[in-house]
Formats: sequence, C-alpha cells, structure tokens
Amino acid sequence: CCEGFEIDCRKKLKSLNKMSDKQNAQKSAKIAAGAVVCVESEIRGEVTIGARTVVHPKARIIAEAGPIVIGEGNLIEEQALIINSYPENIAPDSEGVEPKTMTIGINNVFEVGCMSQAMKIGDNNVIESKADLGRNMILTSGCIIGACCQVNTCEVIPENTVIFGSGCQRRVQTERPQPQTLQLDFLMKILPNYHHMKKTVKTTSAVTPAKN
Amino acid sequence: MASLLQPDRVLYLVHGEKKIRSPLSTLYFCRYCSELRSLECVSHEVDSHYCPSCLENMPSAEAKLKKNRKRICNQLNENFRCANCFDCPCCMHTLSTRATNIPAPLPDDPSKTTMKKAYYLACGFCRWTSRDVGMADKSVASGGWQEPDNPHTQRINKLIEYYQQLAQREKLERDRKKLARRRPYMPLAFSQHTIHVVEKYGLGTRLQRQRPGAPITSLAGLSLKEGEDQKEINIEPAQALDEVEPLPEDCYTRPINLPEVTSLRQRLLQPDFQPAGASQLHPKHKHLLIKRSLRCRKCEHNLSKPEFNPTSIKFKIQLVAVSYIPEVRIMSIPNLRFQKECQVLLTLTNPVENITHVTLVGCEEGDPEDINSTAKVMVPTKELVLAGKDAAADYDELAEPQDFQDDPDVVAFRKSNKIGFFIKVVPQREEDGDVTVSFKIRHDFRNLAAPIRPSEEGDAPTEAIWLTHHVELSLGPIIA
Repeated sequence: CCEGFEIDCRKKLKSLNKMSDKQNAQKSAKIAAGAVVCVESEIRGEVTIGARTVVHPKARIIAEAGPIVIGEGNLIEEQALIINSYPENIAPDSEGVEPKTMTIGINNVFEVGCMSQAMKIGDNNVIESKADLGRNMILTSGCIIGACCQVNTCEVIPENTVIFGSGCQRRVQTERPQPQTLQLDFLMKILPNYHHMKKTVKTTSAVTPAKN
Repeated sequence: MASLLQPDRVLYLVHGEKKIRSPLSTLYFCRYCSELRSLECVSHEVDSHYCPSCLENMPSAEAKLKKNRKRICNQLNENFRCANCFDCPCCMHTLSTRATNIPAPLPDDPSKTTMKKAYYLACGFCRWTSRDVGMADKSVASGGWQEPDNPHTQRINKLIEYYQQLAQREKLERDRKKLARRRPYMPLAFSQHTIHVVEKYGLGTRLQRQRPGAPITSLAGLSLKEGEDQKEINIEPAQALDEVEPLPEDCYTRPINLPEVTSLRQRLLQPDFQPAGASQLHPKHKHLLIKRSLRCRKCEHNLSKPEFNPTSIKFKIQLVAVSYIPEVRIMSIPNLRFQKECQVLLTLTNPVENITHVTLVGCEEGDPEDINSTAKVMVPTKELVLAGKDAAADYDELAEPQDFQDDPDVVAFRKSNKIGFFIKVVPQREEDGDVTVSFKIRHDFRNLAAPIRPSEEGDAPTEAIWLTHHVELSLGPIIA
C-alpha cells in the first residue's frame, strides 16, 4: 500500500504540475515565430510579441498591471523599458482594478534607454533615446518622440507629429518615418550569432512554457 | 567637491579702464606690460572666417570685398555664408544630405528603368526634409540647392550703393573741413555723428579704431574703385501707394492650422522673406564663424593669435594668464561659523619652470580694491617657495625630491609644482550670502620676452620683477 500511495502521490504531483504549468504559461511571454528575443532581456508578466520583432538584450518589457501586446516588425533596443504599470493613485493590491491591455502596433522603434508607459501605440512610430512617455498618452501613426523629451500629457498625438527639443516643440512632417526593414533583417541575422534567444511559440501547437 | 574647483570661486582683479574681477582661466597676461588683461581691455580683431560644419576657410579680406555677383555659387557671397552647408529653417541645426534610390528611365531606352540616386536635405534633430517645402530631389549631392531669390534684391542693392557713395562723400567733406579750418570748438557731437553715419551705411567698424591722422585703409580699396567710374548713382524715391491689398474675408473666422504657423524666431532668421507659413520656410546657407585675435591696447602686442587652419585648435601666440601667474585654488573648506576662526586649505600652483617665491599679504583697512570681502583673513606671513614645473617629473623616479623647509602649520602638503597651505578665516557678517575673503599675492616673474641687452658684467640673463595681484575667494555660505 505504500507503493500505491507513492504512485498516487506521483500522479497527483504530475497533474498538479501540469495545471500550474498551464497557469504559469498564461503569465509568461508568448513569442511568435520569427521574433528574435534575446535571453538577457527581461520580460515579466503576460507579454505577447509578434513576428519579426527584435528585442535586444537588457530591454525590459514589464506587464504589471495588465498584459502587453506587441505587434510585428518592432525594434526594441537596449535598456528600453516598456511597462504597463499601475496608475499612481491606485495601490497594486486593491481590488476592483481591471487589468488594461497595452497595445503596440507594427514597425515601431524604441531606441536605447527610452521609457514608454503609453497604453496605445500605433504603427511606424519612433521613440528616440531617453524619451519618456506617460501613461495617458496615445500615439497614432508616424509620430516621432525626440530624444530626452518627456511627454506625459493626457492626449492623442495626431499622425506624423514630431516632438523635439528641450521645450518639446512640435511640428508635423509630411511623411511618416520609414520602417526599419534593413536594420531588422540585419539584426535577425546577427543577434543569434552572439546571444541566446528565448524560445518562440509555434502558433498551431499548445502553449509550452517559455524558458526564462 | 567638484564645486570647489569651479572657476568663478577664485577671482583675480584686473586693472584696466574698468576694474574687472574674473577667474584666472579667462584672463590674459601681457608680458611686455607685465600686467593682467581681461577680454574687455584688449582689442578683438577678426582673423578669418570659417564654416563650422564643413570647416572650410574663407579669408577675411576676400570675403568682405568680393561683390561680383556673376561668379558661380560655389564661391562665397558677401553675406558671410558657407556655400555648401545649410541650416534647418525649423530648428537651425545643420542639414545633412541623404540619398534615396528612385527608379528612373534610361535615356536610351525609355521602357527600362534603372535605380538613380536622388538627394534631399534632412535635419536629424527635428526631422525636417527639403521635401516638406516642395523642393524637388536633386541629382547631385552638393551644389544643386539654390536659395529662392528675393524680388527686391536689385532695389536693395542699388540703395546700398547709393548710400555708401553718399557716406563716403560726407566723410571726405568732413576731412576736408577739418584740415581746412581748425575749429577747436567744433562740438564733439558732430564728429560722432559722422562716424555714426559712416558706420550706418556699412563702411566698416575699423574706422572707429583709427587714430586721428592715420590714413583710412578700409576706404582705400573703395576709393580706387570709385575713381574708375565716378558716375553718380541716382535712385528713384520710393512711391507711396493709396490702395493697400485688402485682408482676406475669412481673416477672422478661419481656424488656425497651428503646425503651419512659423514661430517668430523661424520667421526673423529669414528677414528677406519672413514667411508666415511653415511650407515656405526654405533652408538658408550656414553662417560663418570667426577666428579672432586679441591685442593689448597699450603696447599693441598680440596676446592671442589662433592658427589659420579651422581644424586646428592651437594658437600661434597664446599669452594666457594661467601659464604665467601662480594660480590659487580652493581645496577644502570646513564648516564656516560666524565669528569663529576656521582654517581653509588652498593650493598654489606654479606654472613656470623656475622656482617662484610667493608672499601673501592681507588687505589693509580702507583698501580701495577690497570691496567684496565679508570676513577677516589671516594669511601665512612667511614666504612660500614653489618648485618649478617639471614636465618630466612623473617619469624621472631617480630625481631627488627638493628639500624645502616647510612649516607644517602653514604648508599642508607639497607635490611637484603645487603646495597646499592654510589660511584662517573669521566670517564677520552673519548674512545669507557667501563668505568672501580677499588678499594680495606677490610673486616674482622672470620676463623672458624682454630683449636681451648686451651686459658687460655678464650677470643673470633675466631679472625678476615682483608682481602683485589682488585675489578674491568665495568660500560659500555660513553654516550655523
């Protein structure tokens, strides 16, 4: 009966593990095939990363207060921080707070050292180095937030806007910035030569836990 | 602690037309007059013009007198602007030329297309491109960009020529009057007015610096030109119009498209067009910068003469004060208390290669130069000896350290050509401002620039003269 007990225990442990795996799987990153995500990057929480997106080492994507969905063809460089955090006046443990999803479109560039908390980012935007986006911003398409510009107003930035300078001056450009296809192709070839990659998820099969 | 090294904490007094107090790093030393000079008591002369982005040199005289408009645009026009570089009209950054590949039909066979390079100007800071104002991409990398022509250029040029001729005539008349009848009671305002008139019409600021009686060199070139064709330039007077263009009807009701409105700065940087809309902001050629040389006003020797090459930051002549005068720096300040004696550690650095003897003297009561000090200071009474600056001292380990008998109460440490010494400070005023002390430093200076007189006795080549400087230190606030 001891053996039976043991086998029972083992079966229970296995099923428990499977359940916890499934629960854990929902809370870890879903990286689509074709995306290049370095192991040294920190991805916490429920993050979905689209195909052809490159995440450099030391980039941080943190989904605290809700999931983050990142589209295709994005370039997230070193020390960039994309964080879905709780608003300041709400404590993390208070109940009744619905998790809001942060969506990021396609062909965006998050340059080195930038920080983005904007809940909705469209396509073809460029957030330059050390720029700081507040939580209440919404970027449409083709916007360029200049280097070291801190913007945390509560507004929707119209298309093709350029924010630059120490006074965060604005102007509208006539054409959107070009998608960085050349750079993305180059990085997708070169980065795997020097870094280990996080495992991607095949879209057809069941969810498997990604290696962190 | 890096704040103690800030240059404006230790100020040296300069005796000039105005008494100026400024850090030693900004001062010059005229070794012919053996005096400190600041930027305000020297005369500034323009050496050369250069473009800050392509670093191309434009000799000053050529830039000023060249007026021939028929030359090709590659050469400098008289506006002191670079021919190759452009400024962004939006943020005034330097524009860079970028290339794209566009398919273009082959000249031989119109059905086939080949990739040709097209160039456009782009700003890396505000992302402005030349396509924003509708300028077409050019097929050559440089030299294809033209500034738009001002429709009033001809009229303006004619007016300038007329007024220059008028000013010259007035100047000649004035000179003739002065020579013909000497009227000592001629009011000063009259002659000032004439100089002002000449300057107003752009005949050059050099006239102001001319000593009376000396020939006017800047006009010499012009007078030769005028000699060739003495014809009078007549201008038509401006015509007043009765009818003015009416404002558009929707002037008050039309909503403003804010990104299209230019800022004042953008508008005024293009004074000939002053466009109100951002779609008319064309790039302008980049303004040139100057290299200037400084000259002592008393002895007319050059104090600072930079090299001609814009890529070189060195100087042909560099008589800066830090390489002749010992520099006082603050090393550490204890907590300053009102009416309590505190010991402040200062350093003295010897910039020259021979041994320097320095004596510090406190300021006496009623010293006219001592206006800012708010504390009493006790300086060491003994003479401080500074070793010479030895460039090879770091590498020469076998050299014996020179033995100076240092009083440990006065000298804290000694390191090659630098010593640290203590002064005692008693703050006298209990107020919010900084505690300021001042004292005089007296040191010997060997003048290597003086001409070597043939001496019969064969004595020492240079004699030392003693210089005194008034130094003010700002020690920071009182901590209660």
